[in-house]
Amino acid sequence: MKFRLIPLREFDAYTNMALDEAICESIQNDESIPVIRFYTWKPSAVSIGYFQGLKNEVNIDECKKQNVDVVRRRTGGGAVYHDEEITYSIIGPVDIFPKDIIRSYEKICQYIVYALAELGIDAKFSPINDIVVDDKKISGNAQTRRDGILLQHGTILYDVDVDKMFSLLKVPDEKTADKLIQSVKKRVTRILDYGDIPKERVVDVLYKSFSKDKEITVGNYTKKEIERAKELVESKYNTERWNNLR
Amino acid sequence: MTEKTITKKIPGGKLVRIDLSFEEVITDVKITGDFFLHPEDVLEKLEKEIIGLYVPLNKPSLINRLDRVIENNSAELIGVSTIDIVNALTEVTQ
Repeated sequence: MKFRLIPLREFDAYTNMALDEAICESIQNDESIPVIRFYTWKPSAVSIGYFQGLKNEVNIDECKKQNVDVVRRRTGGGAVYHDEEITYSIIGPVDIFPKDIIRSYEKICQYIVYALAELGIDAKFSPINDIVVDDKKISGNAQTRRDGILLQHGTILYDVDVDKMFSLLKVPDEKTADKLIQSVKKRVTRILDYGDIPKERVVDVLYKSFSKDKEITVGNYTKKEIERAKELVESKYNTERWNNLR
Repeated sequence: MTEKTITKKIPGGKLVRIDLSFEEVITDVKITGDFFLHPEDVLEKLEKEIIGLYVPLNKPSLINRLDRVIENNSAELIGVSTIDIVNALTEVTQ
């Protein structure tokens, strides 16, 4: 199977989400082969799942104060604080992935599991949509299937500032917030917990692992995708209407 | 008018929150959470199915109605089921 691999690049949250959608359109219009892209977020950002209530999940004032963007994803799942992490998207016609949704999560997540194994990290897929090391979450993933195109994106935690994360996300009960933060610290892990591994090395093993069973062309975003992403930032991802949808 | 919210963490699944306005009938409902639903826009159809129903709810009938919406739209709910949603709705309207 032929894929276009777009190497790691940094974008703001709105552009990252818009590029995913622009690529979905490219593939749907037969203008592109399936795509794997890697990216980071600048400024750091909170993304919320498609079905989440913005005001239930995000401390919007604190995000503004700390210059953290907030964006609603097209995919379900939970709120994520994107800072020191590597994010990927894999996009292609639904029929090149397992029909069963959990199986397709597993298949795609295995690329990350193999990459982590290359780094000496013994990770495994944990249904529905996580990857864990010793029962601690290291990667969260989310998928949507629309108009015959499957998009799955996910994060691999390189480093994480749990205290900052919880200053940006709402905790259900302020009285138990400290307890919750302590428990999250115990349930979340990051690559840096397993050695002084440079980010470039992590990115490199991810490229290799995602490429393993594919015919890869290393490429870039097309001019049309960049233009379309700009339009989608303006008309959708950086609008109150979209981000306040629920 | 009564306005209530219920949040449920589904064992082995995801979190679902329901904001509901009702008196004799349900006048508004908003279902949010970190679950998955493909295709996503079916959630609005599920919410429409709930609005206008008389309280107390007829649980088996509502489960059937929501299942029919899921089936008719070839949709798939992941991390939460129609039974979980109806259980939460029944609890919050009691």
